[in-house]
Order: sequence, then structure tokens, then C-alpha cells
Amino acid sequence: MSVFTAQQMMATALARQVVDGRTYIVGTGLPLIGAALAKNTHAPNAHLLFETGLMEGNPQEAPTSVSDLRICRGASALWPQYRYFGFMSLASRRGDIDAGFLGGAQIDPYGNLNSTSIGDYFHPETRFSGSGGANGIATYCDTVIIMKHEKRRFAEKIDYVTSPGWVDGPGGRARLGLPPDKGPRAVITELGLMRFGPDKRMYLAEFFPGVAPEAVAEATGFALDISRAVEAEPPGEEVLRVLREKLAT
Amino acid sequence: MSRDSKVMTAAQAVSAFVKDGDCLTFGGFVTNRRAYALVREIIRQGRKNLYVESGGGGGDIDLLVGAGRVGVFINSYMANSGYSMVCRRYREAVEKGTLLYDDYSLDVQTIVFHGAALGLPYMPVKNMLASDLINKWGISEERRRAHPKLPDKKFVIQENPFQPGEILCLAPTPSIDVALIHVQTASPDGTCRIEGPQFQDVDIAVAARRTIVSCEELISDEEMRASPDRNTLPGLCVDAVTRLPFGAHPAQCFNHYDYDPALLWEYEEASRDQAGFDGFLTKYVLSRADHEQYLAFVGQERLEALRIKDRAVGYVAGLRRGRPQAVAAEEKRPS
Repeated sequence: MSVFTAQQMMATALARQVVDGRTYIVGTGLPLIGAALAKNTHAPNAHLLFETGLMEGNPQEAPTSVSDLRICRGASALWPQYRYFGFMSLASRRGDIDAGFLGGAQIDPYGNLNSTSIGDYFHPETRFSGSGGANGIATYCDTVIIMKHEKRRFAEKIDYVTSPGWVDGPGGRARLGLPPDKGPRAVITELGLMRFGPDKRMYLAEFFPGVAPEAVAEATGFALDISRAVEAEPPGEEVLRVLREKLAT
Repeated sequence: MSRDSKVMTAAQAVSAFVKDGDCLTFGGFVTNRRAYALVREIIRQGRKNLYVESGGGGGDIDLLVGAGRVGVFINSYMANSGYSMVCRRYREAVEKGTLLYDDYSLDVQTIVFHGAALGLPYMPVKNMLASDLINKWGISEERRRAHPKLPDKKFVIQENPFQPGEILCLAPTPSIDVALIHVQTASPDGTCRIEGPQFQDVDIAVAARRTIVSCEELISDEEMRASPDRNTLPGLCVDAVTRLPFGAHPAQCFNHYDYDPALLWEYEEASRDQAGFDGFLTKYVLSRADHEQYLAFVGQERLEALRIKDRAVGYVAGLRRGRPQAVAAEEKRPS
């Protein structure tokens, strides 16, 4: 087995969520690397959308933002922003968007996500940039969430819900007026991959090679079911080659 | 053809159309085509108590916040992404409670700007339902009523009258006093040509009572009208045109130049505290009488290195964008 980093394993797990020919909403950083990895391996025909209306960009250098000129290269259309929001909600309702990738600072067992502030909203200890397009993606689409796995970040109750997940369990989204059949599908961290059961609570589906499932539970601030967990398949040789040579990861 | 010229200097445009207490919106997105030169002029002229509607806001708005010019801030995103993941003056103002602010999602801000450009009073959306964007009002109804320009309510939740049982969030459209945008090409009558991503620029320019445009190139009205298919805004939506080459610097401008990583890193470092920010503001804004002096201070050679030479590529390939060593070392030191 070849040696790989936690980041390479995360990018691989992300790429495995991408199906060839389907459409994904991505941001910058690791989600984009994961999507680019998929496009360079098993999913060359995946479509990538950015919340700025830059459609199907195919960046050759890493963009620093969702508006970076590096995304424009090879794009199909540079839409005004409002077009993206209309298209996204329509396409998602038609089943034409497979998922959006989101990051956050805090997450609860139902996949509700905080990217606004830590502490009291009115007098926060730490303030972040704010929702951006995340709330809209979480409203309309299935999501794959990328997080750092720490006890304080995986909390029973989060300080602010920026992007709704499964709210408080089955029926929660419908009650509050959200599309009921869309929601968080997976949470990927440096330790493993979580999914949501019929009770809409997070459970450990896969632990990454070298990580004990108990260690994942220990790093989680709420009760995490690890009874169904299996060890994730490590990244293959070809995947690692693409990550190292093409994506500098 | 004879039309009234709207060409003026940035100082004349800001002096004529931006007043204390105005509601302002800006074009571009985080580090792309932001109207930086116009913002620097607003600061130089001492405009204050501004009500800023953000969208994908960045370092330009952070300059206004840091300089103490923003009274009310409606936020959905504030970052020099890749450099400052959260704009630091905005962050400190929120953490210390010195800024009146509220949060929307980017979707909703973009949609209400579009609604404003359509002349509509509100937009029904499904966004923000089931989130604290609904549950927490950064600005209470009472404070909103006391403000001359803010809508009384952040939103209203209502059933869709055409689809009983469907819940909607009705978000009010803002009443924008001045839109400030930076474009690639304009002509004296105000006709504008935006190349590349448009973001929310057309909507805010149409919606605002006044629109100030800075441009890379000023060409004749006749030349502009020879290719109307390439034009983005009629001059009817524009009140002032000022030629400010590199007017989006340190942000990017499609077909013209890339962002300036060294300056964005310098700002990231300087804006960590108020003293550092004040130094930056003095160095790049207050000590420079106008945009020409700003460009001379930044230096021709440095600006030339940012120029996009191959439009098929569309950016400066291989541009050094990493955090400078000295800053990286500073970062590792325990604070």
C-alpha cells in the first residue's frame, strides 16, 4: 500500500461522491480539488457550477475564490449571478443537480451547519464571512459537507444555523417549508465519512485507513453510532498520481 | 451625434452623488472587479454613516468599515477569499458590537437586487427558512423603524396565495441611493461595456437612483454604438463616468489585469488590528490625493506584471499567490 496524506484521503472520498455526467455546485479549496480529481479520473463529464454564475468552469490553476478569473477559462457561460440562483433551484427540483459541496465551522447530529459565528450572534466570540451561497444550496440541494473533525465543531447544539440540514429529524424540513427530500448526504472529515440514517442522525459509515472508529466517536461532541462503520478503501495508485502530478495535492 | 457628457473626475462624481447616510451598493465579487478607486475617493472625501448593501463583499467594503464610515451593513459574505478568509475590520466591528448589521444569504441579496431592478417591492423566496437567518434579526424591527432607509422588517413569512400550504419568505427589496461599479469600457454618455462575469452589477446600476461608473477605457459614444450587441448598460442608467485605469486594483479585471497578491497579503496582515489598518489607510488612501497618485505610488512595473497579456488564458499564468514568508512566520508565532 502506498503512503498518502489525510488530505489526499479526503479528496479521494470527496471525488467518490461525484458521478460521471452529473452536476455539482463547488466552492474553492478541497471541494474543488475533490471535484477536479473526479473529472481527471472516473467522471470526466461531471459539470461544475459556481455560485457567482460562472458555469461549468474548468480551472487549470487553483482559483482562490468562486469569482476568480481562473474559473472563467473553458467555462460554458458567464451568467449574471441571479441566473445561477434561478437555475440552481429549478435544476434541483428537476433532479438535475446531484449535490452541492459545503464547508462549515460547526455541525450538529442532523447536519445543520454553522458558517456565521461562534458564541452569541449579537456578540460573537468569532465572526465568519457569513452564508454566501451555502444557505441556498442547503435549501434546495443534497449536500456533501467537508469539516475538520473536532469535538467542539461536532456539537449537539450549534451556535447558529446558517444552512439547514435535516433540521430536527424526519419531517423537520417539510414542517419548515423546505424541499423534504433534499438534505445532507455525507460529511467528510480527516477521520472518515459520516452518513445519515432513517432517523436523519449522523452515523459513521467509513473510517479512514489508520483511524480507529472509536477515535472518531471520541472526536465527536454528540453520540455517534459507529456500529455500521467499515474501513474506507485507500486511494488507488492512479488517483494518487493525479493528485500529486496534476492537482499538486 | 451630440449628447451631454457625464465624464468627470472621481472627486467630482463622489462629491456630486454620494451623501452622508446614503445606501450604497458596489459591483464585482470579493476580489474581482470591485470599485476600489471609487471607494478610496469616498474615504478621502470623508463620507460617513453609510448604509452598505453587500452581496459578495470584499476588501473595498472592509476599507469603509475600518475607516469608520459604515453605519449599517447588510451582509451575506465578506472576504478577500484566498487571502483574508473573513475581512478583518468587518469581523472585529461585529465582534466588538460597533457595527449595526444583519445577515441574509447571498441568494437572497442577489435576488432582492434583481427585484429592485425590476421595480418590485419584495421577492418571495424559500431561502433562509429553517435557519437562524430567519430566527435572528441583527437589526430589530424597532431599530429598523428608527432608520430612515432600512425596510421596517427583515422579511415576512407568508403562505403562497397560489399554493396553499407552501411557506415563503418575502424579502424586501432595498432602496439603493448609489451604485458604484467598475467596468472595462464606457463612453461619455454613460454607455457601459462589462466584459466577463457581470455578478450583480447590472441590477444595482438599474435599481440605484444614481450610478457612478469608473472605467478602464473611455471611448467615443459613436464607437460604443457601433457595437451595441457588446454593450451592457445604456447611459440612461448612469450619472457619472470617470476613467480610472487599474480602478479595481488590487482586485481583478477581466481582459485587463489579475489581482495583486502582494497587496492583498499586505492588507490581510495590516488589517489585523486598527493601528495596522490605520497605517495601511494612510499609506494607500489618505496620503494619495487621487487615483493617479495612488497608481504612481503602487508603481508602474508592479502594475504591468499584473496585466493580462494572453486573453485566451484570461489571467496571469503562474502568478505568485502564496503567503509571503515573513507573514507565514508571523502566523506561527503564538499570539
